[in-house]
Amino acid sequence: MSKIKTCVSLYSLQDEYLNKRMSLEDIFKFLADNSVEGIEFLPDQMMHNSPHPSKETLAEWDRLVSTYKMKPVIADVFLNTNIYKNRELTQKECVNLLIEEIKLANRLGIRLIRLVSMVPAFVIEPLLPYAEKYNVTLALEIHAGLGFDVQKTQDFIKEMKRLNSPYVGLVIDAGIFCKRLPRVMANYCQQLLGTSQEVIDYVNNIFAQGTDPRKVILEHNGFPDDLKKLLKSEADHFFAHFADGYENEPYSILDEYMPFIKHFHFKLFEMTESCEEYSIDYKGLLQYLHEKGYEGYVSTEYEGNRWVLPGNPMEEIEQVLAHQALIRSVINELEGQEVY
Amino acid sequence: MFDNNVFLENTCKNIEEASKITGFELKTNITYYRGIPLSMVNDIRVEVDGENVPRESILCSVDGVDWFTLDEMETVTSYKWEYGEPLTVRARKDGGLAKGTHEVALDVVVRTAYIPVPLAGRKARTVEIA
Repeated sequence: MSKIKTCVSLYSLQDEYLNKRMSLEDIFKFLADNSVEGIEFLPDQMMHNSPHPSKETLAEWDRLVSTYKMKPVIADVFLNTNIYKNRELTQKECVNLLIEEIKLANRLGIRLIRLVSMVPAFVIEPLLPYAEKYNVTLALEIHAGLGFDVQKTQDFIKEMKRLNSPYVGLVIDAGIFCKRLPRVMANYCQQLLGTSQEVIDYVNNIFAQGTDPRKVILEHNGFPDDLKKLLKSEADHFFAHFADGYENEPYSILDEYMPFIKHFHFKLFEMTESCEEYSIDYKGLLQYLHEKGYEGYVSTEYEGNRWVLPGNPMEEIEQVLAHQALIRSVINELEGQEVY
Repeated sequence: MFDNNVFLENTCKNIEEASKITGFELKTNITYYRGIPLSMVNDIRVEVDGENVPRESILCSVDGVDWFTLDEMETVTSYKWEYGEPLTVRARKDGGLAKGTHEVALDVVVRTAYIPVPLAGRKARTVEIA
């Protein structure tokens, strides 16, 4: 019996769904056919009129879950704090929106909500009675670019520790563990937008030195002078700004948070021919989680889809299967050793 | 990044109302990976043969029933632009697009919940009006 469990985020198959090559049922069937037992679901993506879907939509959800014996593990929830152009939502408005999301998760048979990064800490305490009543845990996503060093993330963590409830925790996106910048992102920027090779080399070199663009920018209060000199076009700037959405942290950054971690997004940019993820060392990360005794889910979240050059084939299905094969085999290897 | 979602192929055509051509329309998917209320659409721009369609001539609808100008859309929170369901963008223009070939470009800009800059996408297509 494996302790670390795997699932697939339907985020991974967004282009198949958007362009109607796969319906929600096709996705359930595809995953079930490939021995995937759990899913991560974005109600705002594949359930119309969420968080208030129609009775028919809910009946269809129930049918799919039971037909394909799929466990809906977690709902990815967003908070539209900027739903109005001229102001941010108040605390009361934010809390009310999230109560509806908690009720929907409960109705869908989901016990865990991923709150998108930057959700304000002030929502947690007023939501706790609802989390308990509906048995839904709320976990803030720690995502590269909006990670542990960002004020709103720190505020949330402080409040989480103060309240110390089993219904409040964190979701970690493995994009904070990039050893290399995703090659698909650099290629897209270079070939489609015209980012220069010099700028890409500069950023690749930052990763090669064991750090990441975000830390370099923070150290220099902006782009370092030698990088500034290289930035000659809008495409160079876009790339340099976007590159700070990939972090290169040591696994040990999680040490103090392990008791609060409810779930992982195993981010996937590109499976290579040698069946590894190009940027993230999943063997190393799973080894770390195994040693820490992590017993939750890790969810394949393919994001290379947004970097496919126009005219090139979308490979969401192939990428998801290759990544699932990788992480399952690593988990089996790690946990198999304990049989003896 | 989301450019591929913008301006669906073969959707640009003139609109005929009461046997009069009153403008043209086209369809687009969202430049995001989830559905959002129409109030979170920051901007829609249509360009024909290098010229911008005036902002006030643009109308949008998610259901083909109720139509909103861009200024009106700022307060439209109960109509959701669903992921995977195209938005119809109409430009009011007497006579619509003239017969022949046009270069039509569409820009879609939406606000997200957590990324400080809006997400934009653009696609230009050569359109043949019969």
